[in-house]
Amino acid sequence: MTGAHGRTLVRVEGLTKAFGATTALGGVDLTIHAGEVVAVVGHNGSGKSTLVKLLAGFHSPDGGTVDTRTSGGSPTELRFIHQDLGLVGSLSTVENLALGTNTVRPWRRLRRSDERREARELVRRLGVDADVDAPIEMLSPAERTIVAIARALRGWDELPEVVLVLDEPTAALHGAEVDQLMDVVRRVAEHGAGVLFISHRLDEVLDVADTIVALRNGRVVGNLLRSEADYARLVELVAGHAVEELDRRDTGRGTEVLRVRGLSGGAIRLFDASVHAGEIVGLAGILGSGRDDVCAAVFGAAHRTSGAVAVHGREVAAGDIRDSIRQGVAFVPGDRHRHGAVMTMTAVENLVSVLIPGATSPWHRVRRRSELREAARWFDACGVLPAQPEMELTQFSGGNQQKIVLAKWLRTQPQLLLLEEPTQGVDVGARAAIHRLIVDAAERGAAVLVASSETKELAQLCDRVLVLADGVVVEELSGSELTENRILHASVPA
Amino acid sequence: MSVASTAHHEQTDSVWRDLRQLLSFRNISAIYIWVAMVILFSVLAPETFPTLDTVRIVLTDQAVTAVLAIGLVIPLAAGAFDLSIGSQLGLGAILVAWLLRTQGLGLVPAIIGTLAIGACVGLANGLLVTKAKISSFITTLGMSSVLLALISWVSQDSQILNLGSGFQQIANRQILSIPMSVYIMVVLAICVWYILDNTYLGRAVYATGGNAEAARLAGIGTDRVIIVSLISCSLLATVAGIVLSSSLATGDPTVGPPYMLPAFAAAFLGSTQFRNGRFNILGTIVAVYVLATGVKGLQLIGAPVWIPELFNGVALLIAVAVTRRRSSRKRARSAETTSLTADQAA
Ligand SMILES: Nc1ncnc2c1ncn2[C@@H]1O[C@H](COP(=O)(O)OP(=O)(O)OP(=O)(O)O)[C@@H](O)[C@H]1O
Ligand SMILES: [Mg+2]
Repeated sequence: MTGAHGRTLVRVEGLTKAFGATTALGGVDLTIHAGEVVAVVGHNGSGKSTLVKLLAGFHSPDGGTVDTRTSGGSPTELRFIHQDLGLVGSLSTVENLALGTNTVRPWRRLRRSDERREARELVRRLGVDADVDAPIEMLSPAERTIVAIARALRGWDELPEVVLVLDEPTAALHGAEVDQLMDVVRRVAEHGAGVLFISHRLDEVLDVADTIVALRNGRVVGNLLRSEADYARLVELVAGHAVEELDRRDTGRGTEVLRVRGLSGGAIRLFDASVHAGEIVGLAGILGSGRDDVCAAVFGAAHRTSGAVAVHGREVAAGDIRDSIRQGVAFVPGDRHRHGAVMTMTAVENLVSVLIPGATSPWHRVRRRSELREAARWFDACGVLPAQPEMELTQFSGGNQQKIVLAKWLRTQPQLLLLEEPTQGVDVGARAAIHRLIVDAAERGAAVLVASSETKELAQLCDRVLVLADGVVVEELSGSELTENRILHASVPA
Repeated sequence: MSVASTAHHEQTDSVWRDLRQLLSFRNISAIYIWVAMVILFSVLAPETFPTLDTVRIVLTDQAVTAVLAIGLVIPLAAGAFDLSIGSQLGLGAILVAWLLRTQGLGLVPAIIGTLAIGACVGLANGLLVTKAKISSFITTLGMSSVLLALISWVSQDSQILNLGSGFQQIANRQILSIPMSVYIMVVLAICVWYILDNTYLGRAVYATGGNAEAARLAGIGTDRVIIVSLISCSLLATVAGIVLSSSLATGDPTVGPPYMLPAFAAAFLGSTQFRNGRFNILGTIVAVYVLATGVKGLQLIGAPVWIPELFNGVALLIAVAVTRRRSSRKRARSAETTSLTADQAA
């Protein structure tokens, strides 16, 4: 749909927003037309989520206007998927989907079976077979994303003047699920709705967008049509310079660090693996394949039904997290909000929150100066902005929070590094830096197990990738076989 | 302009910003309110309010509330409620008198015995919350009722008098014409402040309160943190009870429960001060005395007797409303906060 756009649905002019000394947005202009997919790209903290929150009326702007009326004068309805999804954790999928649907007669008796059928239908249309009665907080991040999308899409085809705003909807999704979502986005646009799409996965952006807006430090630095853009150009716009992607050579492996035998639990039916020092092993698979359960089970954070895990030949008991940490195991969970960090504490407090049992006594006096010095080093290494370690974690942008959670565990100099979606929400520039840090850890002798929904990341980073389907390893790829395509191919069951 | 002087400029700028932030109304509103009240009551009751005696009375009267509130801050910081602090104070007050008079124990064994039983109550609370997984709200509500029954049983619902002058000295002995109870409170405040604010243990407490699951995955023994914080709270409530009995020279079975509300009001009001919404000791102590100043002033200008209750209740509601509003605004402002954490509150 290049060039000839439909009517204007949303017009943003000169939008400005500052948080204290940080200018999150500095005069942003943006227009969304009917039938148009506008992608917003930019580095972490460039103001993308702030733009979304201003559109949603979460924040009030310091300056500028948001006009949510069509050129014809009728109001445009905006539907959001926030980076934090905005679902009610204790309610089930059915209940979440039904929230706010029946505002006309709120006292009417609930028609449970109808609601359930509709919910299952909606979710299944997006290619997921989740338990629609389980509380949302029990679902994986990817499943929650699907529910949020389903909710935002509910009934859209009856409303022509709708704009769908998606803030990093794909951060937790796997290739096949991303494709589903992209299909939906395209269909929505074809139907005459507008879409505002935010993602750090630039391939997706190129795949789906009609117009691409690049932000840097709250300012628009590029506004291109799809035809004018290519990958390298986008990388430059986001990172400010060309980014050298990781080129990994086999460095040879050392002694065996992790040995897993007959592990089962969660979605895993049977998992065996052995990871050596200096080796980076990837875990691929679609939603529900068990990919998201391996790291937690190895760490001892999730229940194991059977199986044994040994680190350096020593058994790691399930449920004894302090013991795992003592043995040099680090675990970066995929669900940052729930498991990864204490959002109400400051960045530096989160950074130093892992105490190696035995090494630091809890009665030890906190040394603020040296903590801040250490925080400054890690902020620099991972590219966290703004460099204010004493700011509360909630006040950092999503990608920057993720960097802090990673730094928190890299700081412990682990022997075994368990990573779930390590670069979710992280911009291309910082992503390369984080990959570098992971490789450094491996070269220092750590064994690394990384579960990722991003096949590209796995192909770049790993020496070996285990592809899971239905709770078992169905394929092991390494060397020249280790390509994005092979991973994708193997993870989708025939 | 040279690079060095720009840097210098930036530094003074940021010092200035820090200072403004420190003195901003949002950060230390209680201090401003306190100053305003002192001025107001000094004008309205110039004879009685701005006197050294009033200062001494307020200081002494509130030592017990302050000790209780200090204790309460610990479980609140760890994300657990303790609604049984009032009854625990009552239990401490009656037990020490009972052990001294009825059982005829010596001073030191009686106090140690009382503290030990207080700690057991905290342990019971802690085990019920962490092992039986009953919410702290319900656990301590139930415990509170159990303790009231216990108090009534031990005391036969009557006061225990004649506790001996040695015991009375604990709270009433004066140094520089300030009674010991105030010194006890200050020492306890400093200890708890040090632990919460300056040790990794304190960090663990706040982390547990902020997100127990994330804290557990970072290797913090969250169950142990909750148990220990409830025990500490019980110990401090018991100390408050002992100090109260000592200063009254009587074991009174009815003294406990009325202390709970002021302690909660102070802890919540205190959390809006200094530390950006975090429960903290300094803020709590300030809040105790701000509330007490208000109550005292109202009494001195001849307000009716029900005014103190009203004042404390309204203060608690306002304090909580302010905290909630601030945190919800923070939620709105933040790049991303999960709505999932919102239902951890209970
Ligand atoms: N509540 C807040 N208080 C202070 N600063 C904030 C707050 N919310 C956002 N910011 C700041 O505003 C800037 C823009 O944040 P925003 O979340 O919009 O970034 P983003 O482009 O979405 O980044 P990401 O790709 O990491 O999600 C950041 O520097 C962030 O630290
Ligand atoms: Mg964002």
